[in-house]
Amino acid sequence: MKQILQERIYLLIILLVTVCLVAGITFPTNFLTFSNFSQILLNVSVDTIVAVGMMLLLISGSFDLSVGSVVALTACLTAYLMQVLHIPIPMAIVLGLCAALVLGWINGYLVAYKGINAMIQTLAMMGIARGAALMLSGSGSQNLPYWFNTIGQSKLLGIQMPIWYMLLTVGIFTFLFKKTIFFRRYYYIGGNEKAADLSGIQVKKMKMLGFVISAGLAGVAGILISSRLGAALPTFGRGLELRVITAVILGGASLTGGYGKIPGALLGTLFMGIIANIMVISRVSGYWQEIILGIILILTLGLDKLLLKRYAQTA
Amino acid sequence: MINTLKKHRSPWLFIFFLCAMGCTLPPKNPEISTNRSPYQERKGNLENEEYVMVTTAVTMPMYMNRDQRAFLKWGEERNVKVSVLGPADWDVPAQINTIEEVIGTQPTGLLINGTDPAIAQVINKAVNAGIPTVVYDSDIPNADHAAFLGTNWYEIGRLQAEEMVQLIEGKGKVAYMGILGMSNMETGFQGYLDVLKKYPEIEVVGKYDSKASTEEAARISSDVLSAHPDIAGISGFDGPSGPGIALAVKEAGKAGKIKITTVDGEPEHLQLVKEGVIHMLAAQKRELFTWYGAQFLYDMVHGTNRLSNNDAKAGITSIPYRVDTGLLKITPKNIDQFVN
Repeated sequence: MKQILQERIYLLIILLVTVCLVAGITFPTNFLTFSNFSQILLNVSVDTIVAVGMMLLLISGSFDLSVGSVVALTACLTAYLMQVLHIPIPMAIVLGLCAALVLGWINGYLVAYKGINAMIQTLAMMGIARGAALMLSGSGSQNLPYWFNTIGQSKLLGIQMPIWYMLLTVGIFTFLFKKTIFFRRYYYIGGNEKAADLSGIQVKKMKMLGFVISAGLAGVAGILISSRLGAALPTFGRGLELRVITAVILGGASLTGGYGKIPGALLGTLFMGIIANIMVISRVSGYWQEIILGIILILTLGLDKLLLKRYAQTA
Repeated sequence: MINTLKKHRSPWLFIFFLCAMGCTLPPKNPEISTNRSPYQERKGNLENEEYVMVTTAVTMPMYMNRDQRAFLKWGEERNVKVSVLGPADWDVPAQINTIEEVIGTQPTGLLINGTDPAIAQVINKAVNAGIPTVVYDSDIPNADHAAFLGTNWYEIGRLQAEEMVQLIEGKGKVAYMGILGMSNMETGFQGYLDVLKKYPEIEVVGKYDSKASTEEAARISSDVLSAHPDIAGISGFDGPSGPGIALAVKEAGKAGKIKITTVDGEPEHLQLVKEGVIHMLAAQKRELFTWYGAQFLYDMVHGTNRLSNNDAKAGITSIPYRVDTGLLKITPKNIDQFVN
């Protein structure tokens, strides 16, 4: 009980189960089906991979607004390299991912070493990366090579690959945060940066690495979404940054840093994906979707605060 | 094989082998028919008849006031359930996700805004799931939908450029803007440039991203006016551009002198034509896209105009494959017919 009150992630699990049960009873033929759940997971796979990187940053007390644009740039650059410069697919993917890592490094270096505010730096990078994506692909690249498309369109055991990549990413980072001292240091940095610095943690280096990892995961997401659709559009990832931050906060992170668990990123995106799915099934108009998601975010955080307050009073 | 793997005690190799066994690759050459797909006429229970429109940027005023209003009105007139779904922002992957989820609910018919060629796969998925599907606004190559209704975007660009040439008498500097990266708009830009390049005395000074925002269009236009005080004309390719360009031109005190052509026929656009600030609107007949799109779906499902004993078996459809609804050219000469 103590753990449930202290960690938002458990509250989210209870909410998820409740919502699924109610939706399952209300829409028995459409909601509780393998194909629908597989579709929900597929739809949230790209967001979740980006959300894992964002969770890492939020744990360390930072955030990155350029992730959506990095998704677009990686997709468009990889497509450009394959289709215009005729570079072999694996090489094009590596170069696309390298570009994402370089953008992450620039963000991290300027934020950690030069003291530029993360919001301003990543906002600037958001524009630069989006502009570069537009320059590279114009209206977008269609009909990407077949073997590139297999990355996102193949199935393993009847489940589309992006879901496996998502689970793999969440699994790897959950393991790293649980079992390695290196990644656990991000909690100390997010909790008290000065104290972490005084205790010998290389705060600047680690913060920079956090941005590199986040951008790298956004790059992976860019490759996945373009291979899934067989197209690379410069409009990919518009609004993704805010969606992902919302999901990560729902999943237990705090804007002040020091809190959060990697599975929370998955649960946050999954919760938003399930709510969106229920709204589609129940034919709630698109006008209402943003409003409802906003209300849910406020209610969840409000409930979380209320439970914590009650716990503090009873303890 | 499994024994060999076990002998080497390599669990990773074993896992890899299992994965390879369970892996399915996508079809290498998906069958894309050059003809529109035949459809299955639905007989019997049509009580729960429901037509779903899926677009992106569902809250865009032009979409709400014209496309969606006509679609909802059609539903009322036909007394059938209609729903409008899609993401609030311009987000093509989110539109695709919505279509995928709608397919699972098996609506009677699906009306899809052709926002980008990337939605071809999901359109084919809907068609393969037996859902009559019609696309509007921009056609989607390599997709198997039953019909398309819309405007030729190249024609929008061409019409704007021809009018601009006349307005500036074939010489001077011009700029244009729209949502960069949108395939239909890029087609419009191409039509615009193809006409202008025939006039060597016309100089195109820039192509700008309005980001679907009136404020951004106004900011860009003021910058263009500062950089090129002698600019002769500016054109817009998205709804918010027109009022934005007009605002900047009015604030610079050059209303009427700098020629403006743009798209759409919303009340604010019409008012600006009436005031003499905008000189020509290339307006789409958007209401017709969704009204007749929905009607086509209805006719397919009900077999209204059967052309054979069994259209599905004959491999034909009884609706037009492609409808170009044409453009409205609104100028100060005919503006009174469009405003109250």
